[in-house]
Amino acid sequence: MLGRPSLAQLLVAPLWLYLIVRWTHDWVLAPGQNVSARVSLLPLEAVSETARWLDRAGESGLLAAVSTWAAGGVEFLAFGLASLPQLAAGAWLTILLTVSAILLGFVLAVPLAVVRVYGNRPLRWLSLSITETLRGTPLLAQLFVLYYGLSLTRYLGAIPGIGWGLIPGTAVFVAVVGFTINSAAYQAEYIRSALQGLDGGQLTAARAVGLSKLAGIRHVVLPQGLRFAIPGWSNELVYLIKYSSLASFITVGDLFFRARSIGSDSYRYLEIYAVAGVFYVLLVLSASMLMERVETRTAIPGLGTTGDR
Amino acid sequence: MTGDGRGRAEMLRFENVSNSYGSEEVLDDVSLALAPQDVEVVIGPSGSGKSTLLRCVNRLTDIDAGEMRLDGQKLSGLDENELRRRVGMVFQQFNLFAHRTALGNVTLGPRVVRGLSREAARELGHEHLRRVGLADQADAYPGELSGGQQQRVGIARALAMGPELMLFDEPTSALDPELIGEVLSVMRELAGAGMTMLCATHEMGFAREVATSVTFLEEGRIVERGPPAQLFESPREERTREFLSRLDDPTAVDRGPGR
Repeated sequence: MLGRPSLAQLLVAPLWLYLIVRWTHDWVLAPGQNVSARVSLLPLEAVSETARWLDRAGESGLLAAVSTWAAGGVEFLAFGLASLPQLAAGAWLTILLTVSAILLGFVLAVPLAVVRVYGNRPLRWLSLSITETLRGTPLLAQLFVLYYGLSLTRYLGAIPGIGWGLIPGTAVFVAVVGFTINSAAYQAEYIRSALQGLDGGQLTAARAVGLSKLAGIRHVVLPQGLRFAIPGWSNELVYLIKYSSLASFITVGDLFFRARSIGSDSYRYLEIYAVAGVFYVLLVLSASMLMERVETRTAIPGLGTTGDR
Repeated sequence: MTGDGRGRAEMLRFENVSNSYGSEEVLDDVSLALAPQDVEVVIGPSGSGKSTLLRCVNRLTDIDAGEMRLDGQKLSGLDENELRRRVGMVFQQFNLFAHRTALGNVTLGPRVVRGLSREAARELGHEHLRRVGLADQADAYPGELSGGQQQRVGIARALAMGPELMLFDEPTSALDPELIGEVLSVMRELAGAGMTMLCATHEMGFAREVATSVTFLEEGRIVERGPPAQLFESPREERTREFLSRLDDPTAVDRGPGR
């Protein structure tokens, strides 16, 4: 990150700076405020004034046309700035959902993949059925089953503390469960294919030295296999950032939910989704940059990224 | 003659060992015995079962008939992992742990299996790397080493577990010619230091100089077995003679009897 910043870094830095400032304000400096009531910290009035002035500027002809057009642009900026507080609140949940799902999903995916490659017949069959069911049905349907069908919220609501202060409400937990198990299935596939691409001689050599199969998998197979799974895994992370928007359909107030609600209030759907779109792009860009960093840091000299010999 | 197993402690014994892969018989009624410090070289055409023979010793492959003993104990009665601590193996394709340095490769077994502390394992690792002439490559990754260096790390890795018996499965077959020598000299030194070794190899020079006994294996059966001088100079069996002559003149076309 030192030296000349790349274009990606220049684009992404403002997003995170803004989010951190906004979140600090909302949770630490002025906590307890309802999301819809939050007001932008940025000089909104000044921007709106500029827009109005531009609109009126110029009598007629080309200059007037240009300034009116510019006014439209500045007014869009004002609208975007005004909606930022809500979007920032939504972005928090989007990020929370994504990070929880990818990490918890990973914890489930590794045993699923290992069992699938190294387990006995019944275990392999079990792992296969689980992953195929989860990958074969729509994510939204899975979320609906959890939220509306099984009414998980009822059970989760019994847990003390949920919904209090900064702890998100039950819907968010249901969403995390849904995304976790779904992502686990996809991640298991990436890991499985990475493990299968590994040279069989690695485990054989480990066993020949006296390691048990499990120890061999833990010390020799997984460290290599997981590295080979990184490209697929980054893919999953990027997808998850976008699929997290499905949580809005089970009442989670994520980025998409906020965008939709601002849209339905103002009828300015195109504009608000454009702004939300910028958020998503910057989040995806951040994720890609992070994964690139991970890939370089975990690279082994002499070992490629695909496991081919 | 070595390996007669009478009145001397035996390191390894095969007794009527057979092994099949599906319907195909890979080993057929193999019997042989090694005394401690013996160097047994197994030669034969590819597909003759040399690798399988070796893999039966450390139970990477299971036998279908017969009995095997290590130092008098039945192999079937030993715990697999326990057995593999006592028998080291060196592979044709090296099979080094690609994600670990040379030192890391050598120390993994002692750390995980024998529970050595980090420091003790490192010291042991350095010692064994020194022994194979790679003291300065401790921090290199397999991807950065030449074939000969990788194989020597493989040997060090096997030795670090303190085995009683070393198995060499065509250790130089995947090496460029100019790298073979460095591996063979490590093996020669090992034999000189008194390690019991069972080697499948095509390196006849090594067999002539280092082996205490040479076995010719063809289609899973021992065709002939004897001291290298006898087997190479005056083989008893016709098939042995044929195989050896093919090695001497590899491009000769078989023109049938009377050539």
